Amino acid sequence: MVAVKLIPHILSWAGIVLVLLRGFPGRRSVVTLTSISGFVIGVVGTFTLFRSFPGTVVFGIVTSALGVVFLLIWGISVASIYRSTGRGVTFLWVERLVNTSLCAGMVAAIAGVVAGAVGICRLPVTDKTVLGLSLLVPASGAVAYAVAYATLAIEKRLPKSFAVSPYGMPTAVAALLLFSSSSILRLDLFSPLSMKVMKFAHDFVHQFMESMLIPDHVFIQSYLWRYIGLLFGKEIGFWGGLFIWFTPALLVLLAGQFERLPPVAHIRQGAQRRKILAAAIRERRFRLVIPLISLLFFVAAAYQSRFPSVEYWDPKPIVVTATSSGEIIIPKKGEVDLEDGKLHKFLFNRGGKDARFFVLMGPAGQLTVDLDACAICKPDGYGQADGTVICYYCKTLIPLETVGKPGGCNPVPITFAEKDDGVHIDALTLINEWGNTVQSTSKIKEGGK
Amino acid sequence: MVESIIETNGLTRSYGDICALKPLDLQVPEGEWLSVMGHSGSGKSTLMNLVGGLDRPTAGSLRVGGEDLLALSEDGLARFRREFVGIIFQQHHMVPYLTAVENVMLAQYFHSVPDEAEARSALERVGLGHRLKNRPGELSGGEQQRVCIARAIINSPKLLLGDEPTGNLDHKSTVMVMELLKELRAEERFTVIMVTHNQDVAAWGDRTIYLDDGVLVREERMKS
Amino acid sequence: MLFRIIKNSFLKRPKAVLLVFLSIAMGAAVATAFLGIAGEISHKMALELRSYGANILLEPSAAQGGGFLREDDLPKIKTVFWKYNITGFTPYLFGVADISAGGKKERGVISGTWFAKQLEVPGEDSSVQGIKGIAPWWDVQGRWPEDADEAIVGATMAKRLGVVAGKELDATVGGRTRRFHVVGVVTTGGYEEEQLFAPLITVQSLLQRQGKVSRVLVSALTVPMDDFGKKDPASMTKEEYEKWYCTAYVTSVAKNVEEVMAGSRAKPIWQIASAEGSLLKKLNSVMLFLTVLALVSSATAVSTSLMASMSERSPEIALMKAVGADRLQISAIFVGETLIISIAGGVVGYLLGNQLAGIISRTVFNSTIASPLWLFPTAIISAFVVAIAGSVVPLRRALLIEPVRVLKG
Repeated sequence: MVAVKLIPHILSWAGIVLVLLRGFPGRRSVVTLTSISGFVIGVVGTFTLFRSFPGTVVFGIVTSALGVVFLLIWGISVASIYRSTGRGVTFLWVERLVNTSLCAGMVAAIAGVVAGAVGICRLPVTDKTVLGLSLLVPASGAVAYAVAYATLAIEKRLPKSFAVSPYGMPTAVAALLLFSSSSILRLDLFSPLSMKVMKFAHDFVHQFMESMLIPDHVFIQSYLWRYIGLLFGKEIGFWGGLFIWFTPALLVLLAGQFERLPPVAHIRQGAQRRKILAAAIRERRFRLVIPLISLLFFVAAAYQSRFPSVEYWDPKPIVVTATSSGEIIIPKKGEVDLEDGKLHKFLFNRGGKDARFFVLMGPAGQLTVDLDACAICKPDGYGQADGTVICYYCKTLIPLETVGKPGGCNPVPITFAEKDDGVHIDALTLINEWGNTVQSTSKIKEGGK
Repeated sequence: MVESIIETNGLTRSYGDICALKPLDLQVPEGEWLSVMGHSGSGKSTLMNLVGGLDRPTAGSLRVGGEDLLALSEDGLARFRREFVGIIFQQHHMVPYLTAVENVMLAQYFHSVPDEAEARSALERVGLGHRLKNRPGELSGGEQQRVCIARAIINSPKLLLGDEPTGNLDHKSTVMVMELLKELRAEERFTVIMVTHNQDVAAWGDRTIYLDDGVLVREERMKS
Repeated sequence: MLFRIIKNSFLKRPKAVLLVFLSIAMGAAVATAFLGIAGEISHKMALELRSYGANILLEPSAAQGGGFLREDDLPKIKTVFWKYNITGFTPYLFGVADISAGGKKERGVISGTWFAKQLEVPGEDSSVQGIKGIAPWWDVQGRWPEDADEAIVGATMAKRLGVVAGKELDATVGGRTRRFHVVGVVTTGGYEEEQLFAPLITVQSLLQRQGKVSRVLVSALTVPMDDFGKKDPASMTKEEYEKWYCTAYVTSVAKNVEEVMAGSRAKPIWQIASAEGSLLKKLNSVMLFLTVLALVSSATAVSTSLMASMSERSPEIALMKAVGADRLQISAIFVGETLIISIAGGVVGYLLGNQLAGIISRTVFNSTIASPLWLFPTAIISAFVVAIAGSVVPLRRALLIEPVRVLKG
């Protein structure tokens, strides 16, 4: 199942490699190799980060990397439009740099690192042992190798007219990266962008217009209020976000359209002159294909961010043991942060009997410990969605506020003590409680879905 | 030795049982003005259509300008027509809703990109500078034919084909059109193949071939 | 150049263009009108279903001879098995009163209810129950009532009586008159706009029905009905019944609530509407069928008129081919022509269709409709579809034209 989730990310990366191969013609081997190594470094590096830092930090790092990529294509797109209007600014050294294999390798490596980092963020990192790491390196290496060489084979078969302009290439890379990341809620860039825009609009109105916001002000007639109202609306963030989101790709498209045609005035024969022009126009149209496709990916990313597919948060149970005094102690900020408002599942075994339970901090800020089963259904367990938990067996949604209270299809609460060093649960009570509950309801003993 | 622009070998075209063109071997050297004469149904128009890439032979080989026309696809033939050939028909075929200059631009558009200034000067060259914005209905027969000439040469073809271009014109217009063609040929150096049944018109060429019932019966070289 | 060709071709042959334009516009208009009406009816039905508002209605059971429910039973709703899935409930007590304000007078429904009542149930957390919670779409101009003599008025009634927030009105039932202070006017999009809403306790005393309630609306988090949920509980095996009872289908929650309210009968609200729902489904498929039929016939009309103009234009196409146009270039001209006509036809068809939908819904369904936003793209797309479907055959014909035959002699 995990592999299926990864498919869009791997395909996005394959797209990136394809675009890079075309964007740096004649540097196939450099691009392929650096892409593969970049991807592996991204996967393994992010995995290592997850081992040593809490998730928020790692997600923060990856999100910032994506943000930087987005800002970069903003710069590139502005540069592209500036150049195409024929201003006499040419950065010769930049152009020379773009044509080196160093540059090709750098771009491929960076794109690979970010793509790999995004991909690994999709996997629930539960196995943090060195063994997992040593498995991950060959696995990601093999996947990257296979994908990159398959892409190379495809690229060799593509028609020559499918060309990638130096501006279309970074746009496509960014579009694919953002598309890849938009399906992971915590890496999503579009929603925070909309939020920032909304906040900015509100701050702007507050700080700059406060003096004028007195009713019957000379400059602000009553009809103007309707437009000012727009700035406060919920929609401003969305539309403003869309504007910022799509502008780079649109600018690159526009720049392509503005690109100047070769000088033909010196050719005397009309037919020949027109043929050169027609060929140039055709080529220019082909170069628009990549920015157009990128634009579609930007649309897809914004759509995914706006309408995220609901996935139940369902972590793998962590195995816990009891102390000699028969207590299970789970530290509040240990392996997992118990107080992050998410469902955390644990598995306890004694005498061949398993008991599954979870710890959850409710919206009221109260920790609760419950069996991963209710008093009536088969113990299929619970998953967490927005504001509720769902019983996998009967698909009933239970509001988070009521988790910890007995009755209905609610999870069976367990008494526990909250102390400084964590949550203390009596192992015997837990096992008995589970036994009593499950005996009457269970024929199958299988957790999660 | 001038290279042949057209080379046919056993070129045949039949429609069902009727053989419009019996196996024909023909060489046309580059730059020649060839007149093709014969009665109606003698196969002269068939020959011209085959050479112009408007029709496909049923047998034999046909090379025009080094290109094997039998090997070309339908779109390949279209490309061959727009880049290599200019055609003038007997009935002055213009697109009825387009003006004279737009009719010329149409050929430019199919060829590459339209260029109005160039189309205008082409029309001025055939003496129609004052009728640029007129539609076919407002032009006389001779004027229409001159528009067709301007359109035929606008893409600098190597080969100009005329299928009785003066067939519907009076004597005065005929002379005018032929003079124009001669002038243009002197400048642009294209090869001309002109189908006609008029001895006087044929006499404008370097060489005349006579077809009868799809067979080449006689060949005559002009001395000018 | 392409546009120049198309423009001149249009100017020269206005009749043929008009014919194609009319066929496309008619198709788009019919599609717009039918789909608009179908969509609007579904929308209204969906509002009735109140999918995210209350979904269970508790009424006195018929067996008990009409009568009332007891207000004292209400807190028990918070103690049932599915208590955590019940997100809110509101009791109503209805009565007819003479309502007068500012000299105007009329008979109307007075409805006693909870707006946002703090409910304390022993052994459970206190909660706030009332309309505010279960009908979040109610749009109140003004504020919700807080005191016993404050009330809100439905928008329609308020308009007739000329009442706005801040005014007073009198309600008289059987000689007893009570003065209410109007604190808000409410728009709901439903029959509630014809009513006067006041706190339950006040209305009970006005109607002399202390402690009584005529109905309760309950809003519950439920599982969508599937085939299993629709089974009759009576015919289930024990195991099935257990699963059914422990699954939060609206029916099982309703049954659960019914058990604690003495003399009540609980109906899932979708049940009330389901008969209409299936009728609606049929109506919608008829509409869809008619739309497709209309589009097919207008595509046929487009095809026929294009065919006719194609044979008229074959010399022109042959000439273009002779000059060197390939198939793509020929198609671009003719498809371009039809697409441009279809955009114009789509826009005009949309405008016409909107009017048509308005007329139909006024005369046939006796209701006004607000045209939804998605109709415009639908109209344009259906015009495109008609144009493209209609031009496939003529275009094939055009591409098969042999210049040699047409241009001969």
